[in-house]
Amino acid sequence: MDHHQRWRPTVNEREFIERALQSDLRVDGRRPFDFRRLKILFGREDGSAEVQLGDTRVMGYATAQLVQPYKDRPNEGTLAIFTEFSPMADPAFEPGRPGESAIELGRVVDRGLRWWSPEIAVWESRAVDMESLCVVAGKHVWSVRVDLHILDNGGNLIDAANIAALAALSTFRRPECTVGGEDGQQVTVHDPEVRDPLPLTIHHLPIAVTFAYFGEGNIMVIDPTYKEEAVMGGRMTATINSNGDVCSIQKAGGEGVMSSVIMQCLRIASVKAADITSKIKNEVNSYTSAKALQKVKRLPASALKKDNAPDVAMKEGSDVALETQSTKASSDGQQINKEPPSVVKDNKQEDVEPMLTECNPEAQSESRLTAGESDEKQEVISPKSLKDAVKPKHKRKKKQHKNS
Amino acid sequence: MAKQGEEGFLGFLELHDRRRRHAGSDRRRRMEDSRADGRNPNQLRPFSCTRNPLDRAHGSARWAQGDTIVLAAVYGPKPGTRKGENPEKASIEVVWKPMTGQIGKQEKEYEMTLKRTLQSICLLTVHPNTTTSVILQVVGNDGSLLPCAINACCAALVFAGIPLKHLAVAIGCGVLEDGEVILDTNKAEEQQLKSFAHLVFPNSRKSASSKQPNQKEEDSERGLITSITHGVMSEEDYFSCIERGLAASSRISDFMRTTLQKQAAGDEELKAVV
Repeated sequence: MDHHQRWRPTVNEREFIERALQSDLRVDGRRPFDFRRLKILFGREDGSAEVQLGDTRVMGYATAQLVQPYKDRPNEGTLAIFTEFSPMADPAFEPGRPGESAIELGRVVDRGLRWWSPEIAVWESRAVDMESLCVVAGKHVWSVRVDLHILDNGGNLIDAANIAALAALSTFRRPECTVGGEDGQQVTVHDPEVRDPLPLTIHHLPIAVTFAYFGEGNIMVIDPTYKEEAVMGGRMTATINSNGDVCSIQKAGGEGVMSSVIMQCLRIASVKAADITSKIKNEVNSYTSAKALQKVKRLPASALKKDNAPDVAMKEGSDVALETQSTKASSDGQQINKEPPSVVKDNKQEDVEPMLTECNPEAQSESRLTAGESDEKQEVISPKSLKDAVKPKHKRKKKQHKNS
Repeated sequence: MAKQGEEGFLGFLELHDRRRRHAGSDRRRRMEDSRADGRNPNQLRPFSCTRNPLDRAHGSARWAQGDTIVLAAVYGPKPGTRKGENPEKASIEVVWKPMTGQIGKQEKEYEMTLKRTLQSICLLTVHPNTTTSVILQVVGNDGSLLPCAINACCAALVFAGIPLKHLAVAIGCGVLEDGEVILDTNKAEEQQLKSFAHLVFPNSRKSASSKQPNQKEEDSERGLITSITHGVMSEEDYFSCIERGLAASSRISDFMRTTLQKQAAGDEELKAVV
């Protein structure tokens, strides 16, 4: 549908933004070289991260599978970045094929991570070590895929997507595999429950920092919002790491910018990159240590295979959830929380009612209502013969279904 | 519009089944151990709903059932309908985004199911010749994905202010090998199921006049909007699913109601301040 287009400012809005910038004022109250607030949340699974940069939201999800390597690089794994502008993010984004800007975004993030030149390929300066992803040279290598889902377009998608990709890759774990068999070509992939999955080897974090230029290229701001993006004359993204190495610079047309301004931008970018790097590292460290704690808790109940430890990162704000969940975890016999042990015992002996009292007193009284009503439920005994006849076939069918 | 991350939360929903409680203690022990995560068969996972987590969308909701998390965004009503849609009515388009990879047949089916379910709860004649887009992003998948998505959509439609007849409440019921019905299945449990049914009910109606409505009467009025089953189950199993699903759905609809009311109250306060 052509009714909804990219947000276009009115003449007044455009003038307001431009005039304010001339006196170093931005519409959201930031100074020209301030980033918006950065928040990184991690999902339940390894390798999933959600980044919020102001109102911009991007979710990164890293997965891997064993594939045959490219012929010209038999001992290197592969890394692919997939981006699609979900229609969720902006009314202008349409479902279907990724648009021009989606491809540009993917390429900029990709090039930042893939910083290397073929002539000096032995350099260990690429962000993700591809050779460590090799299992059997020429036969099996890991192919890592990062899906970047743009959830909310508040402007400056490139920087947010880049951070999401880094956060996802930093927490990603691939299953351990060993090579064996008679010919030494047999690959065994170990279950993550049996052997701890391995992290990727990441040498450095290349951070994308985007500048927007206004006027004749003499006014610049960092981390533009979508409103500023609609007004700006040009844009430059510098991907730089905390050491100050420039990994990529993207400036696709737009207003011409003096080289002295570019130099100034790069100096600012390297300071910002150091800030963001430490932010990502801190968040990743606290996530991994929380994960490690969960593992300790889970061990005694390993027979259950299912861990019910709380998801700390994703459920900020819902303290009640954490409390109830940790109570549940403690019924494995491990006392980690301050809840009196009697509660746990009660749970086992009678029913799970005491749990309810603490989380939702109202729910308890209402649950009685339902209890009274379910009195009338009849015992269900399904005919065994029918079930037995169908079971194996059904099982097979379901597995195929899951795989597809 | 107020953009706030208010969060509603539902503790462990429970439906007590007195029949089982009165049975022998051996039976009870078996029943309590029957689910790997320590829930009993009628127990749901903790629910949570965040209102308008997204800034650009006209309405959005993040709905979580345990580790299954779905983000839903609504844009609309936008002018015009697509080719092939009835211009006399509002049309709904649903876009499903999986966590990774392209959408396959299963995701297409989810889109279709969602579209038809939402069509049945929306007042389509209020805004004729318009399109409302609903976009779903799977954030975490730990079983009962479709019911979670339906609940998320419904909440997002409310937050976007789309006119609805009533809410839709979805629940996933699974039938185990021995004919036992478990509610709100997780991924590990889904591997062991003989069959499952995803059921969608209208929310339980509460009249403003009587504080304590007779639940029995109310339940008999409520129909079944959508039923997606997979695998073989006996007629009795299916009716048992519906019965338990209906009981569970009234709990979920209570949760939805309290969440929405809390947020509506927040809006009022905001208006008062302005």
